Amino acid sequence: MKEKLAALRAQALEELGRSQTPKDLEDFRVRFMGKKGSLTEILRGMGSLPAEERPKMGQLVNELRQQLDAALGERAATLQKVLREKKLEAEKLDVTMPGKVHETGGLHPLNVVLNDMIDIFQSMGFDVVDGPEVETDHYNFEALNVPKDHPARDMQDTFYLADNLLLRTQTSAAQIRTMEQRRPPIRVICPGRVYRADEVDATHSPVFHQIEGLVVDKGITMCDLKGVLEQFAHEIYGPTTKVKFRPSFFPFTEPSVEVDVSCSECGGKGCRVCKDSGWIEILGAGMVHPNVLRSCGIDPEEYSGFAFGIGLDRLTTTRYKISDIRLLFENDRRFLQQFDK
Amino acid sequence: MLISLNWLKHYVDIDVPVQELCDRMVMSGFEVESITDLASTMSNVVVGCILSVEKHPNADKLQICRVDVGADEPVQIVTGADNIFVGAYVPVALDNSHLPNGTHIKKGKLRGVPSNGMMCSGEELCLKDSDYPGAEVYGILIMDDKFPAGTDMRKVLHLDDYVIDFKITANRPDCQSVLGVAREIAVVLEKPFKAPVPTFKTVGGDIRDEVSVSVEDHDLCPRYMGRVVKNLRIAPSPDWMKACLKAAGMRPINNIVDITNFVMLETGQPMHAFDLRHVAGHEIHVRRAAQGETITTLDGKLHNLTPDMLVIADKDAPSCLAGIMGGKESEIEADTPALFFECAKFRRDSVRRTSRTLGIRTESSGRYERGLDIMGTAYALDRALQLICDLDAGDIVDGVIDLNDGLPTPRTLDVTAQSINDLLGLQIPFETMADILNRLHIETELCENGHLHCRVPSFRDDIEGRADLAEEVMRIYGYDHIIGTPMRGDVVRGRLLPERVKTDRIKRLLIANGMYEITTYSFISSKAIDTLCLAENDPRRQAVKLLNPLGEEYSTMRTQLTTSMLTVLSTNFNRKIPAARFFEASKCFIAAALPLTEQPHEVPTLSIGMYGDGEDFFTLKGVIESIFAAFDVVPTYSVSAEPYLHPGRQAAATVDGQTLAVFGEVHPQVADKYDLDTRVYVAEVQISRLFAIEQKPIHYKALPRFPAVERDLALLCDASLPVAEIEDSIRKAGGKLLETVKLFDVYQGSQIEAGKKSVAFSLMFRSGEGTLSDEQIASPLKKIFAALAEKGCNLRS
Repeated sequence: MKEKLAALRAQALEELGRSQTPKDLEDFRVRFMGKKGSLTEILRGMGSLPAEERPKMGQLVNELRQQLDAALGERAATLQKVLREKKLEAEKLDVTMPGKVHETGGLHPLNVVLNDMIDIFQSMGFDVVDGPEVETDHYNFEALNVPKDHPARDMQDTFYLADNLLLRTQTSAAQIRTMEQRRPPIRVICPGRVYRADEVDATHSPVFHQIEGLVVDKGITMCDLKGVLEQFAHEIYGPTTKVKFRPSFFPFTEPSVEVDVSCSECGGKGCRVCKDSGWIEILGAGMVHPNVLRSCGIDPEEYSGFAFGIGLDRLTTTRYKISDIRLLFENDRRFLQQFDK
Repeated sequence: MLISLNWLKHYVDIDVPVQELCDRMVMSGFEVESITDLASTMSNVVVGCILSVEKHPNADKLQICRVDVGADEPVQIVTGADNIFVGAYVPVALDNSHLPNGTHIKKGKLRGVPSNGMMCSGEELCLKDSDYPGAEVYGILIMDDKFPAGTDMRKVLHLDDYVIDFKITANRPDCQSVLGVAREIAVVLEKPFKAPVPTFKTVGGDIRDEVSVSVEDHDLCPRYMGRVVKNLRIAPSPDWMKACLKAAGMRPINNIVDITNFVMLETGQPMHAFDLRHVAGHEIHVRRAAQGETITTLDGKLHNLTPDMLVIADKDAPSCLAGIMGGKESEIEADTPALFFECAKFRRDSVRRTSRTLGIRTESSGRYERGLDIMGTAYALDRALQLICDLDAGDIVDGVIDLNDGLPTPRTLDVTAQSINDLLGLQIPFETMADILNRLHIETELCENGHLHCRVPSFRDDIEGRADLAEEVMRIYGYDHIIGTPMRGDVVRGRLLPERVKTDRIKRLLIANGMYEITTYSFISSKAIDTLCLAENDPRRQAVKLLNPLGEEYSTMRTQLTTSMLTVLSTNFNRKIPAARFFEASKCFIAAALPLTEQPHEVPTLSIGMYGDGEDFFTLKGVIESIFAAFDVVPTYSVSAEPYLHPGRQAAATVDGQTLAVFGEVHPQVADKYDLDTRVYVAEVQISRLFAIEQKPIHYKALPRFPAVERDLALLCDASLPVAEIEDSIRKAGGKLLETVKLFDVYQGSQIEAGKKSVAFSLMFRSGEGTLSDEQIASPLKKIFAALAEKGCNLRS
């Protein structure tokens, strides 16, 4: 009997050693340890043994069962490890293949730049307001110190919709509406679409976009104007950017200036972008004309203010080095994909 | 405005290089558009005097000349021209010279004989007879002996000059003249300003015997001055005058016409000369045109006049459009014996309106439009008479016409110097301010109380108060003195309008859905709307039109965004871009009534468009649903009837009977018009209506503590029954325990009878009290089955 057990043990361990798959292991378990398995058979066969040998034999069988159980567990763990490794090996990917993308879209470049501007000015305490695109002659011209038949109207070719109604030529129209609705201190920007009767070409569009800024308070000076514009220029063009005022003329500001920033491309040394001047003209600005304040019921003796108008389209084309403004309105998907990053 | 640098030097000493001059002018408010070096067209060409002419030994048609070119030795030049002779003064292009026609001349040999340059024809120097007499003669240009041999031809031809193009801003009409700009240069360079002091001789007589003048409409003509010149000796102008005119882009004609143009350029005051022979009755009337009158202007064009136009008329008819252009009839001709010089101030808005109406813009009208100094007329007239004398062009009759309705008295301004500093944010010494203003001819006295007492000259109408004086001081003091100060005031956070915040939210959502934002023009073709096949009475056809569009293509303010979207989709599709998802948030312009009497409503609208593999009606609807979900709005979807959309694939989303969106597949007939040979999906969302719906505050809902019970229902119903109705029935009948209803399959086909469809829903029941048993959901299910039966939906076995 003992010999039988020893042989069974040797046979079982040898077979276990050969097992390769979970099925082999299950077969092994059934064959040796199942209800009809070899060990059960031996236990059944114990009836023929003398009664005094039975407990000892039973113990030996149980020991063997435990040994086989342990060996089976061990073998199972080994096999599982091998199989997993095989599986992992088989699952090896070419990680240089492209990822699966859920494509997101993007804002139009004009609005990418506009949002940057809104962030900058909002952080300086400017409210962002809105105004109508179809304006009356009063808001677009008269209240801005440009009477009818004044040559300053030549500065902007105007689209008319009716005798007294036009497509605003400047977001400055919103200045007046703002000053009528609010009392100083006023600190607003008004981004929006403006229109001028310019034929379409690489640098002109009859539809374009401006951001008007207006500050009115007691004691506002031209140095304050420069300070705000420097802050803006540093954010947009980099902290070393210089700002230069050049005298100019706008009917609704006095004094009026054109504002140049040092060319961010060449750092002011002169290049193709700045036409060798070292400077790029970015906006017009000035101190709000006393007539304009007066027409809005604000006393120019008590209050002063400044205003500026930034061309968003030009800011956008220079930032991204877009050579033709028409691309902004053509909306080729391959163009639009490049900006909102 | 083009101005010759040499001309400016007559009135102010300019001792800085032209570039520096221009840079400093820019910083004082005079933008420079361009600087042209006239000399750059020609180099190394000098006056030569022919000393000898010999026959060429090897060529019959060539001659060998020795030419004095002002050098130590004469040069030898071989020429083929036959109009030369010993003693002739000719232009000589020396070795290594450049001609205006682009030729580069080098020394060489002609038939074996060395030739060290070339004698030039007028043509080779690009000259006309008006540039130099005889320039158009065939052969070498034979010149007079005014300039010695060796003189640079650029000097002879007045090309040793720069032409500067100044951009004069609209507030400085006084600088539309050489004298005006020279006066500014004098201030900038701190040099004296030397304006000519006109003097002239008269020959007696009395102007009143020659002409009678009346101003009938002083409101349009505040001042009218005139003089008569007799015994005209009409001839070409001297070279210096021609050079000035040419630099300014004007063509020299004859001494009389050139004098009027020269004085206009010099002083900014336009003048007009009438041939007295053609002034009927020798009467001049400054009056409004009568209805029906016409005039043929100098350029030969006939114009119909209206009573709001000011004319200068003789006894019979208009002979000049006041301040704009003279009439053909009274033009100065080669044999004109006597003239009447007009020098007047016309009202600028009147000149501007007439000029616009008739479509005539001239150097004169441009100057009048911007406004002229009423005190400048007398000076300009005297200056013209001085030139008549200097050029000996005629005899001046005694007496001057000067009709005006009162001349203005000098204006004074009184401001505190400190208030100027307050506006600028600087501390400019008061004395410096007074000094700058005085240099600008604004006579200023600094009073002891710190006041600046200023007398504003008549030519500076633009100076009205403190702000203007501040600008005058600043542009001369220098803007570089302005040092930026950081933003001051209460610390406040800038606020955005709620509409902007909400629009940005939608944009972010659409971008997350793979959409790109587009930007298109607000005006479209008037025919664009027709592509949508809208009914004749559709309100979207009531569009606002531009009165003066750039062209038909941009003539109409859009009432919808879809046509712009379709155009963009078409552009992309036809560039072989396989798929696109776009949106645009812009305004539609809706008129309350046409013709327009008040501002139209500007309605914020969202447009969506897409095409490509995988896009269908439901991918579009998914996007629409996500927009509403973001605003916690649950609309009802129903079949819509837009003619531009597929009749079976379009829907409207409504809330409380208000349409918030219409969307669907574009009708193939419409797609065809845009060359879109693919299925295209578009939507328009009335975002302003969406924004108007008040959003409830968000409160957290407790997470479920007990499991849900799921039941799937497979139903058979009429194919035409919308699933939304079935779902609605289920929800209504399902009661509190029914948590979600989800459609998961719709089938039509061979497995089921014709005209029917199979619809499958997954239902989830859940209670907050405990795990549901089958018995607990039996009752709601029973109610659901009953409701479905009413709808004609039967459970599939």
